[in-house]
Amino acid sequence: MLRKEQNDLLTQTGPGTSGGRLFRSYWIPALLAGELPENDCPPVRVKLLSERLIAFRDTNGRYGLMDEFCAHRGVSLWFARNEECGLRCPYHGWKYDVTGQCLDVPSEPEASGFANKIKLKSYPMIERGGVLWTYMGDPEAQPPLPEWEFITVPPAQTYTSKRIQESNWLQAMEGGIDSSHVSFLHRGDLNSDPLFKGAKGNQYNLNDSRPVFEVVESPGGLYIGARRNAEEGKYYWRITQWVMPSFTMIAPRGNHSVHGHFWIPIDDETCWAWSFDYHPIRDLTAAEVSAMRDGKGIHVRTEPGGYRPVANKDNDYLIDRAAQKAGRTFSGVEGIGMQDASLQESMGPVVDRTKENLVSTDNGIIMARHRLLRAVKALVDKGATPPGVAIEHQKVRSAAIVLPPDEPFKEGAREAMIARPSVAPASV
Amino acid sequence: MSTAAELRFRLQAPNSKGRSTAVIALDAASESFIRRLSEDQWNHATFLKAPIADTPGDPQSDDGWMTTIDDRQTRVRDEVGAADQVIMVASAGGHAEAAGLVGRACSFKRVTTTALIVGTAGASDADVSKTLAQLRPWSLMVVISDSEDYVTDMMTALRV
Repeated sequence: MLRKEQNDLLTQTGPGTSGGRLFRSYWIPALLAGELPENDCPPVRVKLLSERLIAFRDTNGRYGLMDEFCAHRGVSLWFARNEECGLRCPYHGWKYDVTGQCLDVPSEPEASGFANKIKLKSYPMIERGGVLWTYMGDPEAQPPLPEWEFITVPPAQTYTSKRIQESNWLQAMEGGIDSSHVSFLHRGDLNSDPLFKGAKGNQYNLNDSRPVFEVVESPGGLYIGARRNAEEGKYYWRITQWVMPSFTMIAPRGNHSVHGHFWIPIDDETCWAWSFDYHPIRDLTAAEVSAMRDGKGIHVRTEPGGYRPVANKDNDYLIDRAAQKAGRTFSGVEGIGMQDASLQESMGPVVDRTKENLVSTDNGIIMARHRLLRAVKALVDKGATPPGVAIEHQKVRSAAIVLPPDEPFKEGAREAMIARPSVAPASV
Repeated sequence: MSTAAELRFRLQAPNSKGRSTAVIALDAASESFIRRLSEDQWNHATFLKAPIADTPGDPQSDDGWMTTIDDRQTRVRDEVGAADQVIMVASAGGHAEAAGLVGRACSFKRVTTTALIVGTAGASDADVSKTLAQLRPWSLMVVISDSEDYVTDMMTALRV
């Protein structure tokens, strides 16, 4: 349970809000690089943190992210011509560069200098690992560029997708750190999904539906360990990483790729669910990439030309009651990503946390909220840099590992939870 | 059906009844913390100090006595049996052997246990591990936190 004012503080991320200030402390994913595939390509509309923005790539390959609307009469610059190092509004020809600076106002004499006085709000945007990242905070406090392992491995080793989720970011993120639902909601997929099946760890999952949890604070967020019984009195641990504010990384299975999410607010009632898969030491196979594109694993099939899932609330997520009854899927919804999204969206755009009844196994979620609230307060009261900004907080991995019964996972998996180039992930 | 407009049609009737919670300090350091905590406003909480087995030194003892925060003696089984959930609090490096006595009583009565290790900021990994080893066999959930505030937040979240 959260009080209403706490819920508001964490779920509202627009300009001027405390939660928004937290998100504006980080580099966040804005677009897939493939959305701006070449110089002078069409601009793309994107809403982030309740701000409507236009993204474009200019003649020289520079990326721009700025206020979507022309300063003259408020026309959307999605209609603009991307030409000669700037976006030109088609209404009266006003032209802007990637910094939002107006370069040309055709109706005014050039010598008047009027264009110099016009500048749209803009944010830096850079490409890293096939993702375009932006920083929307105070320019004076801009952190170092992101260093998540999935964007630093060679391109052939990584795959990233995104989809729209029609819920607030927090309830989506909380699903990412809620390990106890896997044995129920996703049990039908562990042995059938091509990106999960065949791992020995799956049997530990399926044989023990009542895991025991340990939640440990990490420098950047949390380690959430789910413990199940293995052979000879040992424990099978699945360790999820959560790095503030909204990076989650799920424990791997067998030799499959490692995966996780970013949950980025579009506005207070929708968010971008970013999903990544990568392998630290090998290329992804053609079959794996094909499965990811086809919506397997944590990825989702989206409508052609957009990012709304094919299965969505308007078609009841294509629920298949026969598959549910037969046990092929536990909820009747196909695909791990949509199984999560369908239930999280069903809570409503912003779940009313004053009505929830949490239990002991929800301590990962409770602790994440506690840390978020603490970080927001420290940021607002003292200007303290929140966890997750520092590069060392980003060099993390989830892990699946079998340990002796008396060994704390934080110690037994200490090395496995650090991202090291060319070192294989700890996986079972 | 999950639109903001539809939210106003959600039932406003209460969806749960109060749960009784026994909050048990397992060592001296956590006892003073529990005492402070007991001064806050809670719905259905009992605050207790580290139990002593009927036969001290017997690691298999499954009943004993403990003391309420206002120094009233009470049986472990009675307190655990009256609770819907038990929260055990231990300080990092503290002596948490009493977790076994509480844990066995919880196991017997089928009561959910949560264990918290607090005060980890200045503690060594060895200290945390020692306490963790005593708590782990008896806890459905273990939380290791450097913030005592977390206990308050967790209890609020669990509607204690």
